[in-house]
Amino acid sequence: MTQPLYEVRDVSKSYGSVIALSGVSLKIHAGEVIGLVGDNGAGKSTLVKVLSGAHQPSEGTVILEGTERKWNSPHDALVAGVETLYQDSGLAPHLSVSANVFLGRERYVKGLLGKLGFLAQKEMDRVAHENLDRVGIAVPQSNRSVSQLSGGQRQAVAIGRAVSWASKVIILDEPTNHLGARQAGEVLSVIKAAKERGLGVIFISHTLPHVLQVTDRIVVLRLGKIVADAPTSTFDAESLLGTITGLID
Amino acid sequence: MATLRHKAVKVLAVAVAASFAVAGISTPAQAANKYTIAFVMGAESDPFFQAMKLGAEQEAAAKGVTLVWQGDPSVYSPATQNPILDQVLALKPNGLVLIPTDPTALQAGHDKAIAAGIPVVNVDTHVNDTTKAVSFITGDNADGGAKAADTLAKAIGYKKGKTYKVVVGLTSATATTNVGRLNGFAAQIKKSYPGITIVDKAYSQSQPSVANTNVSNWLTKYPDLAGIFAIDGTNAAGAAAALQAKGLVGKIKLIGYDAYPANVDLIKKGVFTALIAQDPAAEARLAIDYLVATLDKDKAGIAKIKHDVVIPNVVLTAKSSAADLKKYTYVAK
Amino acid sequence: MSNLVNRAKSIAGNQQALLLLVLIAMIAFFTSRNSIFFSNAVFGNIISDWAPIVLIAIGETFVIISGGIDLSVGSTVAISGVVAAFSMRSLTEHGHGSTQTLIVGFFVSVATGILVGAINAFLITKTNVVPFIATLVTMGAGSGLAIVFTGGGPIGGGPDAAIQLSVPKVGPFSYPGLAIVALVIVLGFFLHKARFGRYIYAIGSNEFAARAAGINTKAYLAKIYILSGALAGMAGYYYYLRLGCGAPTSGLGGELQAIAAVVIGGAALSGGEGRISGTVLGALILTTVTSGLIIINVAANWKQVVVAILIAAAVLLQEARAKGSSSKLLSNLFKKKN
Repeated sequence: MTQPLYEVRDVSKSYGSVIALSGVSLKIHAGEVIGLVGDNGAGKSTLVKVLSGAHQPSEGTVILEGTERKWNSPHDALVAGVETLYQDSGLAPHLSVSANVFLGRERYVKGLLGKLGFLAQKEMDRVAHENLDRVGIAVPQSNRSVSQLSGGQRQAVAIGRAVSWASKVIILDEPTNHLGARQAGEVLSVIKAAKERGLGVIFISHTLPHVLQVTDRIVVLRLGKIVADAPTSTFDAESLLGTITGLID
Repeated sequence: MATLRHKAVKVLAVAVAASFAVAGISTPAQAANKYTIAFVMGAESDPFFQAMKLGAEQEAAAKGVTLVWQGDPSVYSPATQNPILDQVLALKPNGLVLIPTDPTALQAGHDKAIAAGIPVVNVDTHVNDTTKAVSFITGDNADGGAKAADTLAKAIGYKKGKTYKVVVGLTSATATTNVGRLNGFAAQIKKSYPGITIVDKAYSQSQPSVANTNVSNWLTKYPDLAGIFAIDGTNAAGAAAALQAKGLVGKIKLIGYDAYPANVDLIKKGVFTALIAQDPAAEARLAIDYLVATLDKDKAGIAKIKHDVVIPNVVLTAKSSAADLKKYTYVAK
Repeated sequence: MSNLVNRAKSIAGNQQALLLLVLIAMIAFFTSRNSIFFSNAVFGNIISDWAPIVLIAIGETFVIISGGIDLSVGSTVAISGVVAAFSMRSLTEHGHGSTQTLIVGFFVSVATGILVGAINAFLITKTNVVPFIATLVTMGAGSGLAIVFTGGGPIGGGPDAAIQLSVPKVGPFSYPGLAIVALVIVLGFFLHKARFGRYIYAIGSNEFAARAAGINTKAYLAKIYILSGALAGMAGYYYYLRLGCGAPTSGLGGELQAIAAVVIGGAALSGGEGRISGTVLGALILTTVTSGLIIINVAANWKQVVVAILIAAAVLLQEARAKGSSSKLLSNLFKKKN
């Protein structure tokens, strides 16, 4: 068995007296897509926060490529190669597509002006376009402001940004929410492209058909615990729903 | 709900005001003083009141009186002055000096004090009915305006049959001091100098920079301008700067009002032809003297009290003696 | 429908051109009423009013783009001018030369502004007070202290050369006026072409996204409030030069003029939007109205009315722009589905 790419071991998280996660362990390998599902309040979003570095677990360890890590902020995780696409509000609508793609990772002009923080805007416009293209997202012009894009296009940009920067793991929190069938299809194909690039993909969704369609393995959370962790082929729509709701144990 | 919050705010305001007032009494820490006299004035920020405060402090110390000095930090308004007056009266001072910010709005508070047996002197401005007040002491704004007209006419070398353009810079259209000075100025011109026309007026909202903008534009608009009457300290400062910047010092005659130290310096440099000055410290001294005499039931002192006192304005020019310039300069920091 | 959308879009995209048109129309109107308006002397008056207002308005532009507000700039103008006036009076009394005194006065004024800005920054980023309240506090404290320090009157006694510096030398521009123009251009580059500005737009547009991208949002917010304070300090010094004295009422209401200039210039109080060129023109329109009304003999109170109309027009334009983009969004969605 190869070493897992990203792993959490025996992770618990409590907020005051409320236990959100208890003793959760999860592994993901390079080139693997896992689906993380569960009812509201099952602990999905808490687990996402631990994985993305937004929260630190009360107990347990986070391991990236065999090394124990401690994220002080999502930015720590991001620098280490773990990208997260948040459910909402991942983009700055007033900024251009390329400014969003490069936010926090700007490229600067050469020389003194670059040292003063002057941006190589043309270069970023071009590279942003290339990067989005590479991961299978077609955005008309990367110098247009995000607020001028449609909802589907915005989501595509957000995913494209995450996928194009992720070097190891990408966490997608409800990426197909509020999307039409066609845009959702595009998102799923981006996930497949990410898998082919050897990234580990964690896909969180309520839309079970999407989960069954693109994942290799499904992890089901219920009441802060993992109740199932099995290859996707072992589930069908009915059994997955039953596992989530607790009708099937 | 709204009324509850309103009440809470009121209680808080009362508590704050009371603690300030108490602080005002306790700072001199002279239990031996026989009287407490309260001054409820217009706006702390005005150097006019600062000069008055100095006079009041000197006279209070000389007469062994504890002074309570209260007023809004910067807003000259009955809306802020009335609650302050109520708080001060709650402290039961022996005497009250009131500088009413509005003749009608302050009448009730004024009469309440008298009904409580507190003798009241009106200073600078007055309430509508002062019959029950000990006295009303003021600087004469109309007289100041007339003196400004005389001084300006003389400075521009007024000759009958010739025409001259002058402008007036004001702070507000309604402040009684501004209105009094402007009326006195205009009446004197009409009476004695018919060749002079007031071609423009503007308001500075007590900002020298706004006065400066007004005068700068007038200097462009009226190339043949003869003189400027800047009706108070802030207008004087703004107009003086405009003349200096345009290189028109001495060519256009500037009559200012209020002897701010910065402006008195500019008399010596020839920027101001003259400054009309009031003597707010003298008003305060006289008010305290009147109240002490009344409280002492000092017959000789009471006999000297006049119900209406006008303290004349003085005209300060480069020819004024150093002693006079010093005496009338509003003491500031 | 799409025609309307396109029209709204083209107007919105040309806010600066529109402002320039308004400005030209105003100059034409005032000139037609009194030809003396079209003169170097009047333009000099306008520019010397414009210089301090554009300084605080530029600071306000950075703050408003970040989604905040700085109500303290007017008070900061007053207190920094007053503190500088005291220091320059003291230096002059001790026989220091005017050049030296004026240089020290400049730094004292800017340092005072930076101090106020730092207090704002501390309240906003360390104690998490919302900008409106934090700067309301420093606004009150600043103007109160300016009055307490001075007793209300202007503080003179500094170098005589001060006023001469404010006299127009290059067309309508004085030397300090030219320096302000240069500073505004430099700040414009930092806002529109450099990381500093990029992150401020990001914070104002979506603070969460900015933080998630690893931007130290609090550090950037602190910097812009300090910048706003420093610029207000410069404006305080500029007023000193113009008046030859520091007055506690200089800059009174300056925050509202600054906000008006920024809004007329096309920025949104909700953050993420705004341009330096818009603010520059917005401030220029405000001061043109001031001088114009004096020249054509219209009571200054009309200025408030004119400014109110301009602000209303700017906000309506913003609405049109927002509608334009949302209907565009809708039409795109339809296109995709079909």
